[in-house]
Amino acid sequence: MMSNKTPQKLKDSLLSLDMDATMEQVDFVVKGDADVTVQEAVDAVAEALEVVGKRFQGGEWFLAELVYSGEIAKSAMELLSPLMSSGASQPLGTIVVGTVAGDLHDLGKNIFINYSKSAGFEVVDLGIDVPVEKFVSAVDEYKPLALGMSCLLTITSEEVGKVIEGLKDRGNRDKVKVIVGGAALTEEFAREVGSDAFAPDAITGIDIIKKWIAS
Amino acid sequence: MDFKQRIMTAMNHEEPDQVPVMGLIMDPSTVNQIMGKEPVDFVAMIKNPDTKDSIKDMMNQDEFWNSTYQSNWNDALESSLKLGFDANWTIYAFMQLVEDSESSLGLVWHDVFGRVWEMGSDNKGNLILNYSRPLCPTEEAWEAWVEEKAPIFEKAIEYATDFHKKLVDDYGDRIMPIGCAAPGIFENCWQPIGFVEFTKFTFQKPGFVKRVIDFYTDYYLKYLEGVMRSGVEVVLGGDDLAQKTGPMMSPEMTEKLFGESYRHIAEAVHKRDRKFIFHSCGNIYPLLDKFIEWGFDGIITMEPTAGVELGKVREHVGHKLVLIGNLDVSYLLVKGSRQEIEDAVKRAIKDAASGGGYILSAAHSHPYVDPSRLEWMVEAVHKYGKYPISI
Ligand code: B12
Repeated sequence: MMSNKTPQKLKDSLLSLDMDATMEQVDFVVKGDADVTVQEAVDAVAEALEVVGKRFQGGEWFLAELVYSGEIAKSAMELLSPLMSSGASQPLGTIVVGTVAGDLHDLGKNIFINYSKSAGFEVVDLGIDVPVEKFVSAVDEYKPLALGMSCLLTITSEEVGKVIEGLKDRGNRDKVKVIVGGAALTEEFAREVGSDAFAPDAITGIDIIKKWIAS
Repeated sequence: MDFKQRIMTAMNHEEPDQVPVMGLIMDPSTVNQIMGKEPVDFVAMIKNPDTKDSIKDMMNQDEFWNSTYQSNWNDALESSLKLGFDANWTIYAFMQLVEDSESSLGLVWHDVFGRVWEMGSDNKGNLILNYSRPLCPTEEAWEAWVEEKAPIFEKAIEYATDFHKKLVDDYGDRIMPIGCAAPGIFENCWQPIGFVEFTKFTFQKPGFVKRVIDFYTDYYLKYLEGVMRSGVEVVLGGDDLAQKTGPMMSPEMTEKLFGESYRHIAEAVHKRDRKFIFHSCGNIYPLLDKFIEWGFDGIITMEPTAGVELGKVREHVGHKLVLIGNLDVSYLLVKGSRQEIEDAVKRAIKDAASGGGYILSAAHSHPYVDPSRLEWMVEAVHKYGKYPISI
């Protein structure tokens, strides 16, 4: 029988980037051998990811660590999530994500998607080079709580504003929160075109969306 | 001084007659504007069922591919000459058109290395090609690819050598072609596999990752020999090691995985008495010491949109590295005013040119870079870049 040290061990192994050790702890939880609830294990993963975010923002960790810790968290959540939805907790909600038209960069978008899934969101990935209409229709179709746009080219940044206008035209702007990220964008730009938030990195993005849910 | 003496003097950290200017001209949209040519709407021809198959057959003939590719680069160097550049980068690629149901056009390009390139058009209808996904996401797929494509790998070196030789022969007396070696070792390791998978493998399958790195290092060194045999005197290695906020991998991890490869490259170039300059986008501050340690002669890019400032880089590296860059392509060379461009040129010269060791250029190629703004840039260099610098 595992002790209530499981959450700490889960956190430690994830933060040591040890996939096997993390999955061993998850396995205990899944089999009911650990002295913790699934929710506590999920919270431990979320706490670990907060630390990952701080390490990345502080320059202590780099993209490789960010990606791999995201992968470990995703593997853990793949086993933990099904147990959650059959119990008390439900997925946190849906996020629709895509890279704007004309832009094919997808590393950042994919990292954000991985983290969103680990955090318990359902994600609809529209891919890269996504035309305005596709973003707008996806909001109609999936009724997400947030729409995420990634944009790395200054020249395509006007697409972000066009999507927001498109949402307004369809009468959907106040039904979805818009969050944007990517190398070409800034906080100021995001505000100017009328999005609700700019995220300098994926983990900040998740934090912002979680705060929206809480409020 | 002629263009070559100017570049080589700067490469040796001495003051030439004036600050040299290098072009990163390659995008068809820029080239067509300068040459007064109409865009060829390649994507429309692919979309048209009547022309799709014949285009595919034609492009997949090595000879046709190479002659089309060569003539595009002839135009790029002609454009660069028109604008008054002392040097321009030259990049060879070998690709084949392949049916692909995942792509909206039904056809994509595969390069030698295991990468898929999607086609698109810019706002004027010019063709744009961009790496979009990997072809070898597993160890087995990678091994199979490398085995199956072995003959093409060898052929590509031959073609790259011929390509550079023709450019040196035809243009070498008027402008310096800065020949690019094979795609960077870091990029070439992750792009055929995918960044997420490659990162996973570095933690989970270090033996496989080492095999991949050794394979591409070996290949890179052979390719590099070919490029140098062609007569190119300065070789450019392009390898994006960083993104906006910093290196993709920590400097320690980059050193552990790739340090030896980079050292070998610099040694191979120096053995032939050539110079090696290195291009990486992104925030490269944490890697500057590595670039010096690995033996690079210079760095090109220093991306302003990732917060990289010429003055700060010079302060950090002194004259241990030649600096080439870093005029902004997100706004300045796309929409900037003449005054803004002049100010940026003056600032770059002030920050990096004293004592030589500086070549002015755009930070990157970009299809939307405006030729008249490049012209203003060159004019400003000629106006303010005379040695001794008096800004
Ligand atoms: C890798 C790369 C490429 C690869 C892309 C591979 C791929 N499949 O993604 C390739 C080689 C194909 C490429 C092509 C081009 N590129 Co490029 N590329 C880069 C590079 C080096 C890194 C980008 C990256 O992947 N970063 C890593 C990821 C993880 O970071 P990120 O995207 O910023 O994401 C993080 C956050 O921003 C955030 N985030 C991102 N999206 C979202 C979305 C949401 C909702 C949220 C919440 C958060 C979030 O979370 C992520 C993780 O924390 C950058 C340099 C740079 N400064 O970033 C240039 C860069 C973006 N590219 C540039 C250019 C010019 C090009 C080309 C036009 C080059 C050319 N002449 O053809 C083409 C354009 C292709 C196209 N149409 O899209 C320029 C753009 C300049 C500008 N401001 O407009 C840059 C800045 C380089 C430079 N020196 O100027 N590129």
